[in-house]
Amino acid sequence: MSATDQDPAEELVQGKAFDLRLFLRLMEWARPHAWQFVVSLLVLVGLFAAQLGGAWLWRLTLDGPLEAFHDGRLPRAEALRELYRYVAAYAGIVLAYSWLSYFEIAQLGRAGQVVVHDLRSALFEHMLRLDLTWFDARPTGSLVTRVTSDVENLAELFTSGLVVLVFDLAKVVVLIVLLFWLDRELALVVTAFTPVLIGVSLLFRGGARRGFREVRAHLAKLNGYLQEVLSGVRVVQMFHREERVGARFAGLVEPYLAANLRTLVLFALFFPAIGLTVLAIQGASLWFGGHSLATGDLAYGEFVQFWFYLAMLVDPIRDLGERFNVLQAAFASAERVFRILDTRPAIAAPEGPAPVPPRGGDLVFEDVGFAYVPGQPVLEELSFRIDAGETVALVGATGAGKSTIVNLALRFHDPDVGRVTLDGVDLRRFAPPALRARSGLVLQEDFLFEGTVRENLLMGRAGIDDAALERALDASCARDVVARLDGGLDARLTERGATLSTGERQLLAIARALAGDPELILLDEATANVDSATEARIEQATKNLLRGRSALVVAHRLSTVRGADRILVLHRGRLREAGTHAELLARGGLYARLYALQFDDAEA
Amino acid sequence: MRLLVRFYGRFLRYKARLAIGFAAVAATRVTDIAITLVVGEALNRLKAGEAPSFLPRLLAWFAAWGLAQALFSFLQRWCVVSASRFVEAELKRDLFAKLARLDFGFHDRTRSGDLVSRLTSDVEAVRMFLGPGLMFALGGLVMVPVTLVMLARREPLLTLVMALPLSLMALSFKLLYGRLHDASLAVQEAAGDLSHGAQENFAGVRVVKGYGREEHQAARFAEVSRRNRDDQVRLARARGLAHALSTGTSQVTFVVILLLGGRAILDGRMGIGDALVFIDLTMKLFWPVLTLGWIAGLYPRAVASAQRIEEVLGRAPAIVDPPGARALTGFDGSFRFEGVSFTYPGAARPALSGLDFEVPAGSVLGVVGPTGSGKTTLLDLFGRLHAAQGTLRMGGERQDELTLASIRAPLGYVPQDSFLFSDTWRENVNLGADAPLSDERLAELARIACLDEELARFEAGYDLRIGERGVTLSGGQRQRTCIARALAREPQVLLLDDALSAVDTETEARLVRHLRAAGAGATVVIAAHRLSSVRHADDILVLSADGRVAQTGTHDELVAAGGWYADTWARQQQRAELEEL
Ligand SMILES: Nc1ncnc2c1ncn2[C@@H]1O[C@H](COP(=O)(O)OP(=O)(O)OP(=O)(O)O)[C@@H](O)[C@H]1O
Ligand SMILES: Nc1ncnc2c1ncn2[C@@H]1O[C@H](COP(=O)(O)OP(=O)(O)OP(=O)(O)O)[C@@H](O)[C@H]1O
Ligand SMILES: [Mg+2]
Ligand SMILES: [Mg+2]
Repeated sequence: MSATDQDPAEELVQGKAFDLRLFLRLMEWARPHAWQFVVSLLVLVGLFAAQLGGAWLWRLTLDGPLEAFHDGRLPRAEALRELYRYVAAYAGIVLAYSWLSYFEIAQLGRAGQVVVHDLRSALFEHMLRLDLTWFDARPTGSLVTRVTSDVENLAELFTSGLVVLVFDLAKVVVLIVLLFWLDRELALVVTAFTPVLIGVSLLFRGGARRGFREVRAHLAKLNGYLQEVLSGVRVVQMFHREERVGARFAGLVEPYLAANLRTLVLFALFFPAIGLTVLAIQGASLWFGGHSLATGDLAYGEFVQFWFYLAMLVDPIRDLGERFNVLQAAFASAERVFRILDTRPAIAAPEGPAPVPPRGGDLVFEDVGFAYVPGQPVLEELSFRIDAGETVALVGATGAGKSTIVNLALRFHDPDVGRVTLDGVDLRRFAPPALRARSGLVLQEDFLFEGTVRENLLMGRAGIDDAALERALDASCARDVVARLDGGLDARLTERGATLSTGERQLLAIARALAGDPELILLDEATANVDSATEARIEQATKNLLRGRSALVVAHRLSTVRGADRILVLHRGRLREAGTHAELLARGGLYARLYALQFDDAEA
Repeated sequence: MRLLVRFYGRFLRYKARLAIGFAAVAATRVTDIAITLVVGEALNRLKAGEAPSFLPRLLAWFAAWGLAQALFSFLQRWCVVSASRFVEAELKRDLFAKLARLDFGFHDRTRSGDLVSRLTSDVEAVRMFLGPGLMFALGGLVMVPVTLVMLARREPLLTLVMALPLSLMALSFKLLYGRLHDASLAVQEAAGDLSHGAQENFAGVRVVKGYGREEHQAARFAEVSRRNRDDQVRLARARGLAHALSTGTSQVTFVVILLLGGRAILDGRMGIGDALVFIDLTMKLFWPVLTLGWIAGLYPRAVASAQRIEEVLGRAPAIVDPPGARALTGFDGSFRFEGVSFTYPGAARPALSGLDFEVPAGSVLGVVGPTGSGKTTLLDLFGRLHAAQGTLRMGGERQDELTLASIRAPLGYVPQDSFLFSDTWRENVNLGADAPLSDERLAELARIACLDEELARFEAGYDLRIGERGVTLSGGQRQRTCIARALAREPQVLLLDDALSAVDTETEARLVRHLRAAGAGATVVIAAHRLSSVRHADDILVLSADGRVAQTGTHDELVAAGGWYADTWARQQQRAELEEL
């Protein structure tokens, strides 16, 4: 499956309460930490045993020394001694119970978190390898959700979901068996009501699931809009649209609130409903138990034990619906996460990738055709070459496809027809990171990360020493920018480099590209927001620094491209003209017209 | 703590709900105890050997109390939680409104992901604590004295001893508070780092991939994830400890009941039939105490969250309507800068200093200068996006005495970074207009912005969906959409911040022609690097690298005068070369 024809509506995945296929896949992730889960299960078994033991001790005490003393079968001193023995045993159980209840939280939490971490790291790494088309079709906010709350939901599957559910079910079975062993009549009463209890719980589950889904969907919209307004706050304020965006946000809050209230009604009804059912069971038990007590068929202590077991039985059944919902949410998240993990990037390394030529290399576009949206071609029958060491410039009207060519040269996309080759080898035969690492890229819309200037320039690339960094700073004229910052190279930039001017950001992006000593440098309007003097200095210094390297330069400002070895003029995705500056001018075509427009009267 | 009290004021707007809810919580407890007493009476009478014929009457009582309890338990949840949901919605709206108004000094330095989490998890923590948390705990506590009295009637000593585990629990929470607080803060922070890291890498995925740094970035993210895991584990341990202590104390109480209850029975002070009531009552006494433990667990988080919310709500935007602000009326489109300077908060040097110039109504002002000389900052000042020193006059009136609405209403602004919303093309342009635009008007705007041909090529036309920040458009298409958006408000003043940098010269020439026609009579301010964009301006301001006005004049004057402008012009023109040909 290619990444492009995928449905971006992952948000709508509903999930089943149990999905064996997903479950088995999840178990793969849990397997390396199997012992964590074994320990968790043991803790739960221990807790249950302690609970049962406690109830049993109450009965032993009541029916033992107390009853015997009451009936005059046991002298007081003896009864007291026996009471103390039971109390001591009970204290032991209680101690064990409390000790284990520490692990109930700590151990289950730990087991979930170790799996979350593994899965999250793997998922993130996988996502970064996916195609740009995939990213462009999805809001950043929802992608963030995949590696945060979705993965956390998965952890719930292991902790409060599956382990506890399996255990709860086992508990119910054991308790019912015990009830039968205790008193058949009472046990029958309870089992007669149990389906009602389960029914109420499951009925609730359906509504709650719908409710939660609605709430989540509204919340996602709310947060997405907030995030967007925050990044465009300058536009919002300059247009004085604070109230309008506020009203729109309030409009999104409204259905969120309504969905929450609907879910609330459901919850508010559920608890009393379960409560009434439990009371009915208790009432019936009292009725039948009362008669048995009166006839002496049932000992008082047995009744107390029964009462305890009943309370213990109700909890897991009441929680059943909720557990199912946790499972369902977890499976929905698992579905979304695995769907991503199953997405194979179309742009990936082939089996046994070809070695990327270490130096030089001719980059050739052969009859390339490409469309972002099928049926709306952006590039058509495009052929040109950039020989090793050559500087080629791309000019053409806005929207002509220049940035798209840069994208293809780095294999951000593959051409639909034709091919792009490096030294005669199709780019599809290389591993993309290796191919790209040899290039230096400055995007039209570049991006700086939060962190120090140095981190931004290095991007974690090994082998860039301070001298190389200095050279890059000089060549890109970014030295002044860095010098102005408090802390120089170690000054911290904020999100997207927001505290720098646009041109300053571009200079840093150029420095970042040069620092890697690239074989091919791609400059997409890299100096569009830089003044001409600086631009000329950069051009000169870059030439010196990258002597003998290839370059692809995109620019509207024709003074930027004049010095190129060859200039390609693009028109609506096709190559219109090619040649040196002088040749093109002499030809008197599109380039000459653009040139005249720029330098003669703009009103012409 | 004081903060939480203040936030509680928001709940008090729902007095009726809160009052009913509070009463219902208490009533639920009362019915609960009543039920226990009914059961106790039945068992006692049975134990005393009475015939079970009295059972139907008692069971009728049992049913009545049960129904009452169901009603109250519905009411308590509905009233209390719905009030908390209303408060949540209100808090979200208020926070959003505040964020939209806060100045750049704040936004530039705050991670957007962090702000999002204030609106989500922090609001949730406060809602949970002040709403259901507080109500259930307090409502439950109302019954503690009643239960205690009832227990005391049966076995005074027992009651006394019961106070012991209770105080033990209080003590242990006091001891654990710091640990819980620190651990939950650490988790909160690590979670923030996590979503920030993801957000940044996804938004900048072109750069990550362009440099082949996928593995490196993934390793960094894994490191953050590992830290988050460790913090989570630490928090789970702290929670486990708190949980163990509270179960421990409640369980110890049962030991005490068994011991003292057993003795009381052996001493004949308590009927054996009372044992069950006793156990049940103690459990019910403990329920509110346990919720108290639960709410104590929420408390540290709620305090931290309240602080984070207040940091936003309590922050005064640096730019607001001054007291007694007037609306700007009869604005002719003229501006005057009198000794205006501005330094970004935290910056070492001023971005602009000593600006003195005039922009006559309907004139065209060019702003040029080297990178980082303050052009964008200067354009910001026209809309009072920063609080500058000195005096800026709009139509003769001091800008800092006018309402922001009236300052910004006449402005059409095209930002340098061509920011667009991920919405349709139509909605993006509509943002500029006061009312949704007709298709005819949109067509007109598309034509002026030289976008008509390209839009016609897209199937969806004006309803073309634009990706986040406009990623699915070319650079020039983004920029021209921004121009259409600015023109949509029929501006008196058009502010173009390097707004023609991403279009080819042919489109630029057409655009300039269109803009001139469309903006006839409007004041236009053009910041640009390409001097061809400003050469026809009535006046050109040349900024120096340190944010001062180096030169002013018309194009011809500046070219003649020599200096930065003339040099740049020569460079861009390369007249010499032209003549060679
Ligand atoms: N990610 C994308 N998804 C869909 N369409 C796209 C995408 N990126 C670009 N396009 C479309 O492809 C066409 C060519 O865009 P491209 O960015 O290559 O133009 P360009 O020559 O770089 O223009 P400019 O000079 O304005 O930057 C445009 O019509 C644009 O709308
Ligand atoms: N938000 C900010 N916080 C602190 N300093 C800032 C901020 N924005 C800009 N600066 C600094 O103020 C100076 C002027 O920036 P401004 O963006 O106005 O320059 P500019 O002339 O528009 O540059 P360019 O030609 O690159 O667009 C620069 O040195 C820049 O680093
Ligand atoms: Mg482009
Ligand atoms: Mg600028």
